[in-house]
Parts: sequence; C-alpha cells; structure tokens
Amino acid sequence: MSAFRLQQLKGHILPENKITTMAGSPSPLTTHVLNTAMGVPGSNMSLSLHRQDPLTKAWNLITTGITNDDGRCPGLITTQLFTSGVYKLHFETAQYWASRGEASFYPYVEIVFTINEPGQKYHIPLLLSRFSYSTYRGS
Amino acid sequence: MAAAESSPLTTHVLNTGDGIPGAKMALSLHRLDSQLMIWTMLNVGTTNEDGRCSVLISREAFTPGMYKLRFETGAYWESLDQTCFYPYVEVVFTISDPDQRFHLPLLMSRFSYSTYRGS
Repeated sequence: MSAFRLQQLKGHILPENKITTMAGSPSPLTTHVLNTAMGVPGSNMSLSLHRQDPLTKAWNLITTGITNDDGRCPGLITTQLFTSGVYKLHFETAQYWASRGEASFYPYVEIVFTINEPGQKYHIPLLLSRFSYSTYRGS
Repeated sequence: MAAAESSPLTTHVLNTGDGIPGAKMALSLHRLDSQLMIWTMLNVGTTNEDGRCSVLISREAFTPGMYKLRFETGAYWESLDQTCFYPYVEVVFTISDPDQRFHLPLLMSRFSYSTYRGS
C-alpha cells in the first residue's frame, strides 16, 4: 500500500491520540519493558540501540532513549536506517532498580539479534524482575 | 579439581522449542576487570547431553565482581540446521556474595529466551 493511499485511508478514520504523519512512520523496531515483579510497565528505563559493523565487529550507537510511562520507547529507528545486520538493545536494568531503591542481579541486559528481513516489524520486549528476565521476537 | 557439587556457579541450557536439553552448546565465562574495564575470559566449555555445564569456576576463583556467561546460541541452532534470531546470548550478572551458590539456566528457543538466578 502506498504512503499516499495510507494517508487517504487515515483521513476516513476518526483521529486517535497518535496519528503518524508521512514523515514520522512508526519505527519498524519496537520494545516494551515490563516489570514482572511488580506487574507494572518498566518506565523511565534508559536504553540504547546499536548496530554491529560487519567488517570491524565494532558496535555503532544508533539511538538512546528512555522508556515512557507505558514502558515503551517509540522512534527507535527509521525504516531507512533499518538495514539487515546484527543489532543489540542495551537496557540499564540496575540503574532502573536502583532508582526504586533496590539492587539487581543484572547490571544491564543486552539482547543481540540478527535482522535478515528489515521489511518486517520486530517487537522485542523485555520482561524483567530483579533476578530474572525474558525476551522474545514479536511483531 | 573441584567437585560438581561444590561448584559455586552452574548453568543449564534448555531447548524449549523442542522440549529437550540444549546439549553440546559452547559457552564461556568471563569476569570484568574493573580497573581496566575489559572482560577476561575465565573458562570455556560445552554443555553435556543434559544441557549442563557444572564446573565453570572454582570456589577460590569466584570472587565478587561482574561476570558474564556467553552462550553460542547461533552455532547451536546452526548445528541443528536451523536459524536463530540471537547469534549469541550474554547474561551479565553481579556477584556480591560469592559464598552462595548461583544457578543460571538459559531456557531458549529460536525466537525467545529467558534466564533467572537460581541456587
């Protein structure tokens, strides 16, 4: 579907809180931090997205951000920048727990993943407690 | 050689996608040199048929600090002729009280994984 056609369709729909303009397409890569110990979103957690240089294997920083009240961080990357490659999401977990006056077993969590089809949507959540975490590839 | 029972740090890899132990997975243990801020590799190993790697470090060497367990998940799934979303998994953790026992399993499939601190 062309961007123009999409914009036409959106004009027929009642406006929601977040309308994405043609210039601000939603990020093809999203994350969601959940504090499973307390049953709340993992809000105000610092994170960063990096891509690995295929030749040097060095990590290049793409974006830094902080999760919002819902534990999400929109705008991680644009479709133009989202090329095939190896990426990592770095979450400042100990800093997050320290801001709540608690220690954490994990100083940080890094999730390293391979993108072969950048045309797809990738949702990479982090479900986290002080002593455990899990992640999965969603869409 | 330290007996498995007294090893302060153990791991267990489970292939939750197939419901079997994650056998013959290469892994390595590293400690962060807090002065130089670089990782030092302490040990390399391979999980056995039960997905376990019981003797990762001796109690004497297990000092407080920041460690990481690196699991070669990409190579593991490749040996099963499958792709994996995660080329490797690194679990970074802080040891404050090395007198305790720490069991760090990795439950993983091609598109998900989880870990927790057990004992």
